[in-house]
Amino acid sequence: MGDQKSEVLQGTLDLMVLKTLYAMGPLHGFGIARRIEQVSEGVLDLNEGTVYTALLRLQQQGWIKSEWGTSENNRRARFYTITKQGTRQLEREAENWERVAGVIEKVLRLERQG
Amino acid sequence: MLNLRTLWARLKGQTAQRREDEALDEEIREHLALLEDRFVAQGMSAREASRAARRQFGNVTGLKERQRAMRGFLSPSEWWQDIRFGARMLAKRPFSNAAVVVALALGIGMNAAVFTFVNALLLRPPQQVRETNQLVEVWLHNPKSNGVQSYYPFDFPDYVYYRDHTKSLEGLMAFDGDGTEAIWNRHGTGEIVHGQLVSGNLFSLLGVKAAMGRTLVQDDDNQGSTRQVVVLSYPFWKQKLNGDSSVVGRTMMLDGAAFTVAGVAPAGFTGLLIATSPDFWAPLTVQDRFTHDSSRMKEHSFWLIVAGKMRDTTDRKSVQSEMHVLSKQAIQMHQSKSDPRKGTAGSDEDLLDAMVYPLTLVPGPFRGYVGAFTGGLLAVFAMVLLIACTNAASLLLARSTGRSREMATRSALGAGRARLMRQMLVESLMLAGIAGAAGIAVAWATSRLLVQLKPASIPLTLAIPMDWRVVLFTAAISVATGVVFGMAPALRASAVKAAQVLKEEAQTMGRRKARVRNVLVVAQMATCVVLLAGAALCVRSLMNANAIDAGFDTHHIALATLDVGSLGYKPEKVNDFYGRLLERVQQLPGVRSASYAHFLPLGTSRTSMSVGKQLGKDPNAMTVDVYQVGHGLLQTMGMPLLRGRDLTEKEAESDKPDALVINETLAQRLWPGEDPVGKRLFLDGDDKTTSEVVGVVKNGKYHTLGEGPMAVVFRGSLPPRRTLVVRTQGDSRTVLDALRHEVPIVDPLMAATDVQTIEEYMALPLFPARTVGWLLAVSGLMAVVMTAIGLFGVIAYMVSQRTHEIGVRMALGARRSDVLRLVIGQGVRLTIIGLGIGLCGAVGAARVLTPVLYGIGANDPGTMCAVAVGLAAIAMLACYLPARRAMQVEPSVALRYE
Repeated sequence: MGDQKSEVLQGTLDLMVLKTLYAMGPLHGFGIARRIEQVSEGVLDLNEGTVYTALLRLQQQGWIKSEWGTSENNRRARFYTITKQGTRQLEREAENWERVAGVIEKVLRLERQG
Repeated sequence: MLNLRTLWARLKGQTAQRREDEALDEEIREHLALLEDRFVAQGMSAREASRAARRQFGNVTGLKERQRAMRGFLSPSEWWQDIRFGARMLAKRPFSNAAVVVALALGIGMNAAVFTFVNALLLRPPQQVRETNQLVEVWLHNPKSNGVQSYYPFDFPDYVYYRDHTKSLEGLMAFDGDGTEAIWNRHGTGEIVHGQLVSGNLFSLLGVKAAMGRTLVQDDDNQGSTRQVVVLSYPFWKQKLNGDSSVVGRTMMLDGAAFTVAGVAPAGFTGLLIATSPDFWAPLTVQDRFTHDSSRMKEHSFWLIVAGKMRDTTDRKSVQSEMHVLSKQAIQMHQSKSDPRKGTAGSDEDLLDAMVYPLTLVPGPFRGYVGAFTGGLLAVFAMVLLIACTNAASLLLARSTGRSREMATRSALGAGRARLMRQMLVESLMLAGIAGAAGIAVAWATSRLLVQLKPASIPLTLAIPMDWRVVLFTAAISVATGVVFGMAPALRASAVKAAQVLKEEAQTMGRRKARVRNVLVVAQMATCVVLLAGAALCVRSLMNANAIDAGFDTHHIALATLDVGSLGYKPEKVNDFYGRLLERVQQLPGVRSASYAHFLPLGTSRTSMSVGKQLGKDPNAMTVDVYQVGHGLLQTMGMPLLRGRDLTEKEAESDKPDALVINETLAQRLWPGEDPVGKRLFLDGDDKTTSEVVGVVKNGKYHTLGEGPMAVVFRGSLPPRRTLVVRTQGDSRTVLDALRHEVPIVDPLMAATDVQTIEEYMALPLFPARTVGWLLAVSGLMAVVMTAIGLFGVIAYMVSQRTHEIGVRMALGARRSDVLRLVIGQGVRLTIIGLGIGLCGAVGAARVLTPVLYGIGANDPGTMCAVAVGLAAIAMLACYLPARRAMQVEPSVALRYE
């Protein structure tokens, strides 16, 4: 593996999963992983199992809910949907992230003085 | 972050672990299958695709573990796994685990035993009584005084006044707290039975229904028309009347009067007072059939314990304020009735306030003292348990160091930190659980043993059942114990750094680990010093108490109580009976002399009167104990006469005694520096008399063994209730049966009660010190043994860890004595720090003990030194054993071991 990959930052996976569900509608775990992979264009080194940890965490907070459905190859799969509370949480988190990202960007742009 | 919502989700998840597990499995399988499909579509072989899918997905086992842990708190299957594994680990080291369990079981058991008493005395509601939380008791209180003496039971007129005027209470009931002894004339022979006088409304207010017949009712208790009826207790009916179903309506001869049996109380009902279980209940208004004392129904005779049932609409606060108002009205009533010539106006007893307490078996005013006493004992045994915990923690810590490889391996295989911690906690909780179960058994045995310390002479039956409260308490302290001693090892185990441990072949002892155990040992030593100092002080004071001169002989005396008054005899017949009995007793083999007394010193009952040098207003007047005695009692009891002579037979028997014997203290107070013999003394009792002092007797102890000098008077005029005092040549036990036997020969209707030796009689005044002394001695012993084991463990462990180092030292020329110094030095350091902290604590703790100590200062330097030296010696022994092993280390072996 020659090309460089970035690790998923602590806590950002939840946000990514939430946003994906918001944008794409009901998805199963595999679908979420594919979507994130697609969006990140192979830059993120995602341990796909951790998606399920994020899903459980979000579900326990009441931000997403799940129901059983049928996957592409006609097998049982669990589909996750964002809840109203989840949508509100996503707005808050996204705003927060942008603020933090903005600060980090500014800090990184600082020129060396003296 | 674990917020409320997550907590709830986890609680729910807990119940569905298995289903969720399967769901996750399915999700993972599906995910992997989809990934594989994709890789195959990209052109990989099936095997390559499978491997690539797994790589991309990550650690499946780890994920499952994590999900499971996140989902709930406990997974049943994992718990079962933990428990089975724990059981195997415990079984691996049966001896050291057994030692831990035994120590913990003793610690938990002693706590549970003390708690059994707390429960029986303070927590258990009266049995067979309904709505106990609606019941209150009311006590009269003298606001000008304090302590237990400031509380009075009710006199009859006050009780009636409160009963008839209360609105917040559904009804006010009363009973005689002292109980009544009666002679039951059964087919011509007398048998002593115990009764309790109760108000007619008591049974109905308590909701107690008769097992047979009826209970007492209000109409049984009318002052104008008394009914001589009794309700029998269930055990009395079962045992003495063989459960005769035709008993209702029959007549029983009690104290010479015919009583009709109204009914039988339900099994389990023993009334509202701790440690009493009457054979029968009778209405208050028939009290003079038993007491032969009609003044008890008048004012200023305080004998009624009063309780009420609150209406549903009220609470204790409003009852209290109503009682306060009633007490003000009662005071006005007393003042309007009072007669200034009798000098009763304004007496404190007419100005009593009323205090309301929730009803429990121990009367309200005494509850605080009982609570403090039992609380103190609980604190002592909590310390013992803490020492036991420290030992267990220390042992498990040492073990967890030995198990760090196991922990590291498990951690490398995917066990999370929480999981490892839980495993360790499960093991300690299992130890604690076994110890708790054993502790229940220890508590059962101990509490029964403690009840046996109670002198047999007092007719109290203390029920100390082990009900659900005791079991709950034991379970709670067991779990707490398990968590306390399991926490440190659990944290240690979970903090293991897998890679580091597995890489290192040799295990080295971390400095930090040793430090934790050292701190534990120091804490243990300090706690032990505190306990031991307390125990030693109490045991020494107990020995002092045994050696205290009571002022009379405490050996070779036999006692028996007789009460012919209950037979309603005329005075001549009473004197005749006692005269003939005395004659017969004096003829018995082994009897040197015999006489009578009304009450004896150091008993529970006494009479007191005001005495002075002149009648009327006397500035020197004082209240003293008055003992009514027969001729020859002083000599029989072994009270030496210092001056003058004993009462003659005629003086002792006359109704108006004009001769008295006083003790040293009274002589010094009234006639300092003079000879009191021949002086006249005025007694201000119910009859005003003047008497001549004919003798002075040596000082003794009268109320408690710990008291200072007290003034007392001995006079004649014995009442119909007397104690027969017999001085024997040898062991006084040999005459007890003969005494019991002689009484019915003289009068077949009479029975002697409390037939006992003076040693048995002295058990009561010695009881408090004996119980405390016994318990503290046990706790001290346990503390010493456990501390020694703890220190031994730490030093032995240190030696085993440093075997290699010691070998090197010896190879380099260190002598055995150097090694000894090295090892012992470690122990000495810990011991000295522990002793220092402990002695400071002991000096503080000893202050608390001051009130129960006899003839010894709380900070007795001798005791403190002995404790410190003794403990140091034991500590050295505990260090010496491992040190000897260290000295025998063969350098070649130790070095090769590496």
